[in-house]
Amino acid sequence: MWGIFLESVVIFQNYMGFYENGYLAGIYLFALLYLWLTEKDRNRRAIFVYAPTLLLVMFFCPLFRKLFVRVLDDSETYYRLLWLLQMSLVSAYGIIRLCGRHRRIGVIVACVAIMACGNYVYDSEHITKAENAYHLPQEAIDLVDMIEPEEGRITVLVPADLIYYVRQYSTNIELPYGREMLIARWDYYHAMYEAMEEAEVIETESFAELAREYPCAYVVLEEDRETEEPLTDYGYEIYGQVGEYVVYKDITLSGE
Amino acid sequence: MTAIISLFFWLVMIPFCIGLVPACFISPVQRRRNPGVILLGGYFCMWALFGLVAIPAVLWVQYHNFSVASRCFTVLSILCAAAGLLMWRRKAGDYRPELTSPAREREEGIVKRFLHRTWAEKIEWLLFWALLGFQLYKAVAYTSFDGDDAYYVVESLIAQQADVMYRILPYTGGSTSLDVRHALAVFPMWVAFVAVQSGIHATIVSHVVMPVVLIPLTYLVYYEIGKGLFGEQTPGDGERLPLFMIVMCVFQIFGNVSIYTNETFFLTRTWQGKAVAGSLVIPAFLWLLLWIYQGAGKDKERDAGLWIILVCVNMTAGICSSIAVFIVSILLAVTALGLAFAQRDGRVLLRIGAACIPNVIYMGLYVMVAYGPALG
Repeated sequence: MWGIFLESVVIFQNYMGFYENGYLAGIYLFALLYLWLTEKDRNRRAIFVYAPTLLLVMFFCPLFRKLFVRVLDDSETYYRLLWLLQMSLVSAYGIIRLCGRHRRIGVIVACVAIMACGNYVYDSEHITKAENAYHLPQEAIDLVDMIEPEEGRITVLVPADLIYYVRQYSTNIELPYGREMLIARWDYYHAMYEAMEEAEVIETESFAELAREYPCAYVVLEEDRETEEPLTDYGYEIYGQVGEYVVYKDITLSGE
Repeated sequence: MTAIISLFFWLVMIPFCIGLVPACFISPVQRRRNPGVILLGGYFCMWALFGLVAIPAVLWVQYHNFSVASRCFTVLSILCAAAGLLMWRRKAGDYRPELTSPAREREEGIVKRFLHRTWAEKIEWLLFWALLGFQLYKAVAYTSFDGDDAYYVVESLIAQQADVMYRILPYTGGSTSLDVRHALAVFPMWVAFVAVQSGIHATIVSHVVMPVVLIPLTYLVYYEIGKGLFGEQTPGDGERLPLFMIVMCVFQIFGNVSIYTNETFFLTRTWQGKAVAGSLVIPAFLWLLLWIYQGAGKDKERDAGLWIILVCVNMTAGICSSIAVFIVSILLAVTALGLAFAQRDGRVLLRIGAACIPNVIYMGLYVMVAYGPALG
């Protein structure tokens, strides 16, 4: 039980960003404590004080965690229970009440505190200027436009960088493996993925053989991807290039 | 142009007209029956309706299940919107004679009310609008990479391009059996529905149209909560509302202390069902419970509309994420316990428990599909 409790503590710390010096939880807990001491309206007290406190207690309760994981058969989503705390709502309510008559200067101080304790969401490395209306890398779109058949579907082997995007643009492109191979903790094995991504140098013969099993009408490789022998020696022709990606077409499939 | 008209029809007109149905049962006092509440109520009812149509289609219709669900949903939502208009026409005038003159003054338009405010308040509201506009600009002009899009966005696109719901593996394109955890959460199918109706690619609808709709809608929920907390009952209270909204904005923008917070989900994966559950659905419960239980005696009886919306919010949780159904049930149970204690009235538990019946049905369905005989 103690171990389960400690796990919940770690989940809480990860959620609140303690390891990245995020102390927004401090503002939240302070606001909650302030509401505990000052909120007189019994209904608001029930919604903004009793409920979050009870939820916090439940979150750390090992028995509850065991039940949650048992029922949902998933321990990875336990952190979502913390969504119920509604940090921003409770904090904002507490802050505005606390500011009282000096609400303007109080709100300025509170906003500065939130900025100091929080983390600017748009600083994330995952947020970049959109290249197009799809919000996908332009290279992925150009690549699919180049190879997409007018009718039907084809299987295409693409590098890991493109796996997330290709099917967000067209579902006529099928892949031998998908995003599931890129999540290390899921621990899947796929021979084609091993040959394409894990091998330091692509073993051309076995690689071509594997790719034809699906069969992949096109193989897309990064320009500087090393191969033992050129793919063109094994029934492929260079069909085009998009940015750093070279598109090879399997000419042995063309007649089918 | 047709796309914009279609988006306006399905994202503004239809939810607004559907929202007139519960609005007819909401008391007009303290400006409760306002356009914002009607729109919010309409969205939750519309999503509930979509769940009612799409989930059976996913489970029991083998071929072209998306078209089947779309056609049924189109008919039902237009019927509900028409019913809303008719009911509103009949009922609109019912409460008006009871309004006191200050209440009538409060019924003035939003622009007039804005002009009557002090300069400081006007600046505060403008600051809030600027912060909201900034978030919308960032949502449209910037792209936020999230690996889960390879699942959810592609599911929407498969529905749009292949007319299939949850029968094709989004990662690769191979066929698959139903993955019950995702198959009951049909929010991506609603995105696909909007995409088909507007003729816009589902990925653009997910990444551009949805944030433009869902971010303001979320702030509308915060606004209604703020109105419940800092309404205009006592002098000076109304002045706190814009400050509350500003703090909410700052919290959302700086709430990215980890990748797990609902603030992070809200602004980086706005279009995904789980983000909607965390940022829109959960606060909506707090809004509704706050409004329901802070009404004065006789007004409470007239607020059946809020209870209707509460039931629909429960159903919306189901279309957002199957885990959301479980956690919102926990939230409702805990809050109901607190309210029952605060009110010294055990019937609160029964009433809120009754509003959770859709969650029980959803969970029953989940268990049936997960552990019962395999479906097609």
